Amino acid sequence: MSAVRSGIAALLALCLAAPGAALAQGKPGIAIGRQMLAEDNPGELWIEQGKALFHQKRGPKNASLEQCDFGMGPGKLEGASARLPRYFSDTDQVQDLESRLLTCMVRLQGFNRDDVIRRAISPAGSNGSDMEALALYITSRSNGMKMSVALDHPKEKEMYKAGEYLFFRRSGQTDFGCVQCHGQPDKRIRLQDLVYMTGKGGTQEIAGTWPAYRGAHYVVRTMQWRLYDCFWQMRLPELAYASDASIALLTYLNYQGNGATIHVPGFKR
Amino acid sequence: MRSVSLKWTMLGAAALTAAGCSSYPDQAATRENAERMVRQSFTAPSPDLLKRLEQDRSQRICSKLGDARLTQEEAAEVVKLARASMKYPSGKLAGDWKTGEKLAHDGAGDRIQRGALEKRKENGGLCQNCHALAPGEINVGNIGPALTGYGLQRGDSDAVAKLTYERIYNGWAYAPCSNMPRLGATGHLTPEQITHLVAYLIDPASPINTR
Repeated sequence: MSAVRSGIAALLALCLAAPGAALAQGKPGIAIGRQMLAEDNPGELWIEQGKALFHQKRGPKNASLEQCDFGMGPGKLEGASARLPRYFSDTDQVQDLESRLLTCMVRLQGFNRDDVIRRAISPAGSNGSDMEALALYITSRSNGMKMSVALDHPKEKEMYKAGEYLFFRRSGQTDFGCVQCHGQPDKRIRLQDLVYMTGKGGTQEIAGTWPAYRGAHYVVRTMQWRLYDCFWQMRLPELAYASDASIALLTYLNYQGNGATIHVPGFKR
Repeated sequence: MRSVSLKWTMLGAAALTAAGCSSYPDQAATRENAERMVRQSFTAPSPDLLKRLEQDRSQRICSKLGDARLTQEEAAEVVKLARASMKYPSGKLAGDWKTGEKLAHDGAGDRIQRGALEKRKENGGLCQNCHALAPGEINVGNIGPALTGYGLQRGDSDAVAKLTYERIYNGWAYAPCSNMPRLGATGHLTPEQITHLVAYLIDPASPINTR
């Protein structure tokens, strides 16, 4: 693992050490560096870990997650994450992958909800959390399939509309909503490319790439983390894990990303 | 008889609304639902920090969905509120460009993570995140216009200093609802910090204005 890490660090350093070359070629120079990193994606290591966690009997109830229903029936994972978030009648809620996992870890395995949430987003440079590994494994079972979030149930429509509203809602000392950074194509914060989310194509580029290995953190990150981190930079309070606002935004974003092919783990700088 | 037919009329109306209203839920219901989510979905180390989520009048006007445009009246109101918000330092509007240069490249301060507020003496100016600055700088964003050569194009007169100060303090006085944060009006930066940014932009000796 440490060898992998120092390898990545070396590659990152290489990319950063040659900014002149990258600039001379424009954006492709940076893009090529990132592609080189992505070809040997350390995130793959987390898939096996997630698979083991899924089948292992764990928690106070000594149960596996094999009876967890992600919308395609108990234990059926193929294509499940392509349809998430979606409405679940047993909770009477629209849930994304992570909030659904949370439900199963509490109901089937008997884990304490607050404990799972506290550990869900792992510290950078750690071995990652159970949630991160599980979310990646489950999503990987939809690799090659297309995102196809439906808004059939009234609560799914409500979530979508709320997500759209939140995407454009400005607040705080930076006056930021999501759209201030993600409303135009080909924009960057410093050197980081920003996903163009009000255009269909832009969202499709990333909709199938999460969970993803985050090079700078040496761990797999999920969409719940991605949203949390945005609100942090916006100087807003902390987005609660698996909260309604997070699920509303994910419903809006994933629906915009419909048609994108799932290919995880993605690779992020 | 009358009450029965009334009942059917109401049922019919309800059914029509449910079936025919493709934009369900309507705007008011969505707003109420989403605002409830905002109140319930965030945590902060202290209750006063949760107030950051509350919108002021201008932010509400500036949160239009999709490509919806501001009406003339709305734009005028945002400009009026911005004008009323302006506060100036006691001294000169153009401060020290070297302090401004540091500030412009500082993106930290006031973020909330894992139950703690990022405490610093003063917040960073955040400029580098979105604007090209001195010539040759690579690690700069492009959401806002390039500021390279800002003073070369405009000079460093008092009028330019005032305009620049106001555009940083509350740019919505000139471009209502633009992406540019109202850095002074929201309290992210102090008036004094803004004078240093003004100097960084217009001082002939500043790297921004390298020929």
